Amino acid sequence: MPSTLFLGMRNAAAIEAADKLDLTGKLHLADVALDAAKAAGASYADLRLCRYQSEYLEAREHRLEQSSSGVNAGFAVRVLLDGTWGYASSPLATEDEVQRTTQLAIEVAKASQPLQLRKFVLEDVPVYHDRWDMPMKTDPFQVPVDEKIAKMLAINEAALKAGADYATIAFAFVREEKFFASSVGSRITQTRVRIMPETEVTVVDKATGKFASRAGLAPPRGSGYDYILGYDFIGEAAKAAEQAREKLKAKPVEPGSYDLVLDPSNLWLTVHESVGHPTELDRALGWEANFAGTTFCTPDKLGKLKYGSTLMNVIADRSQEGGLSTVGYDDDGVRSVGTEFPIIKDGIFVNYQTAIGQAQLIGQERSNGCAFADSWDSFPIQRMPNVSLQPNPKTCSLHDLLADVKRGIYIVGNGSWSIDQQRHNFQFGGQLFYEIKNGKLGGMLRDVAYQGSTVEFWNSMDGIGDKSTYFLGGAPNCGKGQPEQTAPVSHGAVPARFRHVAVLNTERKDIS
Amino acid sequence: MRRSKPDRPRRTECDGYHGEHLVILSEADAQAITQKILALSKADSCIVTLGGSEERHVRFAQNMATTNGSPSSLDVSVESHFGKKSGSAAGTDLSDGALAALVAASENTAKLAPENPEFMPPIGPQKYPAPSAFSPATQAATSAMLAAAIQPVLQQAQAKDLQASGFLNVGTSFSSFANSKGLFVYEQASDVLHTITARTPDGTGSGWAGTTHNDFSKLDVAALGAVAIDKAVRSQKPVRLEPGKYTVILEPSAVSDLIGILVGEEFDQRSADEGRNFATKKGGGSRLGENVFGKNVTIFSDPNDPLVPGSIYSDDGLPAQRTVWIDGGVLKNLQCGRYWAQKTKRAPVPGPTSLTMTGGTTSTADMIKQTKRGLLITRFWYIREVDPQTVLLTGLTRDGVFLIENGEITKSAFNFRFNESPVAMLNKVLALGPSVRAYGEESIGIPTAVPTLLVDEFTLSSVSDAV
Repeated sequence: MPSTLFLGMRNAAAIEAADKLDLTGKLHLADVALDAAKAAGASYADLRLCRYQSEYLEAREHRLEQSSSGVNAGFAVRVLLDGTWGYASSPLATEDEVQRTTQLAIEVAKASQPLQLRKFVLEDVPVYHDRWDMPMKTDPFQVPVDEKIAKMLAINEAALKAGADYATIAFAFVREEKFFASSVGSRITQTRVRIMPETEVTVVDKATGKFASRAGLAPPRGSGYDYILGYDFIGEAAKAAEQAREKLKAKPVEPGSYDLVLDPSNLWLTVHESVGHPTELDRALGWEANFAGTTFCTPDKLGKLKYGSTLMNVIADRSQEGGLSTVGYDDDGVRSVGTEFPIIKDGIFVNYQTAIGQAQLIGQERSNGCAFADSWDSFPIQRMPNVSLQPNPKTCSLHDLLADVKRGIYIVGNGSWSIDQQRHNFQFGGQLFYEIKNGKLGGMLRDVAYQGSTVEFWNSMDGIGDKSTYFLGGAPNCGKGQPEQTAPVSHGAVPARFRHVAVLNTERKDIS
Repeated sequence: MRRSKPDRPRRTECDGYHGEHLVILSEADAQAITQKILALSKADSCIVTLGGSEERHVRFAQNMATTNGSPSSLDVSVESHFGKKSGSAAGTDLSDGALAALVAASENTAKLAPENPEFMPPIGPQKYPAPSAFSPATQAATSAMLAAAIQPVLQQAQAKDLQASGFLNVGTSFSSFANSKGLFVYEQASDVLHTITARTPDGTGSGWAGTTHNDFSKLDVAALGAVAIDKAVRSQKPVRLEPGKYTVILEPSAVSDLIGILVGEEFDQRSADEGRNFATKKGGGSRLGENVFGKNVTIFSDPNDPLVPGSIYSDDGLPAQRTVWIDGGVLKNLQCGRYWAQKTKRAPVPGPTSLTMTGGTTSTADMIKQTKRGLLITRFWYIREVDPQTVLLTGLTRDGVFLIENGEITKSAFNFRFNESPVAMLNKVLALGPSVRAYGEESIGIPTAVPTLLVDEFTLSSVSDAV
């Protein structure tokens, strides 16, 4: 093994300079990469230079367990050579390394050409020279770390005071800075911030050996620190401890068919799994068949499939305030902000989510701006924008939804979740389950999970809340692609009522 | 949404372009950087980790290449301690200025942190097993070699009117762990991952095969392709069976997922002692030493297991060691961090860096012969924990479920959702095949070897229309 570190050390000055690259420096590296790709015969190329600043804080009970910060920076060059993709990446953003990495991407594409049964063809993409910055009030990286830690410990204290035996909390913050340059001429700089709070309280009954937990309901958001300041973590922690205690004594659910009223804190994830993923075009084209899977939403169903009841309207957007997928341009350089489109309209499946090189395969003109790469060293693939269930235009409260249920269950928060690789069969849990009897909320139930099949389930929806009940949920870690990439994504939802859904009791009495 | 997983080691070798392994530092280089950081440190104590990887992959779908690449990474992190206060900082830049900034950032963070009463000071130098997870053949693998290995499989799939999709990845990585007490450990490792799915164009049949290895030259890409193709053909036009409790033959991929989740994520001493784990004893304490599983179940970790060599160091720089987790059904060990070990007066038990379930001698053919009515299951998908009290998991079968009647495979069956606990499953193992290296989509990121298992009364709770 050659000693290569010192090559890096010789270039130390250049590397230090690269970390502080201004736009002129980035534009120069873009020219280096794109000129080299063009000279090697690439019909298309792009360079993404990214920098991720992060902070992670974790506390357990009265104790800070972890306080860490980081900067992860590097670049990738992607080339399309005679219809074959190749890409390569490096953490060393110097001119020499950009040259070397571009040659490596070319070499990967050349080596893969014998496998290229059909050449990839890209549509024309408009040229943009732009800068987009996520608007926010308070930059979380400007808030002193001790102030954040004090807040976290106070939240745990509230849970413990209210009767929790254990309390954990984590705050994660990420600032994503991306510079994109493509051979079509675009040069785009973007910055956004993600905030990911996680809390959980646990209570234990040592005599019976039973325990129960209640996870927090605060979703991750594309927001400034004002989101943390504006959320009542203290109040929720105390309530969570009481609810976890109540769970231990809750009545076991009797398995069977129930009408469900799903709180948006539960339903956003059902939207993600059973609407977001099935309507990804790369899945429909079979490109995820080996991992994330395909979909029942085949192109012949576009514009025809009655996906759900006429109350069902699902919109994809990249503009929603607080959305984890809110961004000006996608990672193909396609403009995404302000370009919302319907996925389900009045219950009918009307659109896929697409990245470049896909839409024309189903007779459409161009990408609708849904490409994302989770890191500088990842290949941009089709990922979800914010995909949200739209509110009822007519007035409808949670109370109105409950009123028309004789025997049902109201479910709050996310528990376990699982769905098959074509997105038919799902099983979801929750954090809190309440009996509904003759239109009124009753006591707490435990060991509840609901199962269903996507199209049948959404067609059983006969009531949804109005805009006053809208809630933006989300997840920071949706997995897809090989190598696997994790994408942050948000989903708006309103409470909704579903008829005759299969409910299981998940307790296993045979395991002591 | 799927659980995010630990990064696999990554590597790439340049063919065509004669570059250098910029991010795979030698031991001497890693030591030099480490010393530079330690010299900059003003903290009471300090931990330095370095890591780098180079990777090459070919990804394909519909019998053709899709997103082929060669990513690389480089990471450095510093954890500083002042008394019982800790803070850490990580970066990707090894220049002098960046390292000084990193040390300063970790020290500033530590100073602002409250004291952690559970803080454990860094350990001194340790004796480590010799690393055995590096393969020169893997490091020498080129993109052209990956494509050449895959091409015949894609041609066979095409000839049989099937659609093949998959991923073939080779990687080399280095890592080092050091501290201000004089500990320094360094290793290089190689990693190969190959998975392939073959599907019939009518969408009624799907077959899968996959595994991991250290040595690319020993990976039989053609054989894996043949298995996926054969299963795709045989799984066409499945029949719909009733959900319920079935005798099942779980192939190694399916077993590795369940065992990995159980031992890798649930075997935790502290949570058991605290009353919030499957291994919690009624009235307090843990079930260590009890017959929690069937007598034919033994699971251990050994960083030098030739079948699944693992990293030579684990948590806090502790040496990875041979650890028996389950011995003849007896719960022998749970992972235990240094603080909890000290508090409860036991030795720390570092997490596994590889996992092996001891196999048996029953072939899959013999398992089929001795099954009156049951199912052969290729692999699982989207496994999530439903109840941590019992480690009840849910997930789905995928890419090949076959009905066994009177000792023979008679039909292909639709996929099922299962709701089952590996704790219950390991009490109902009727027969075991030889232990082999295996990979499942819910892999916990360490090399795993498991047998095919014949299991009684496995709970399949509903049918899935997915193929």
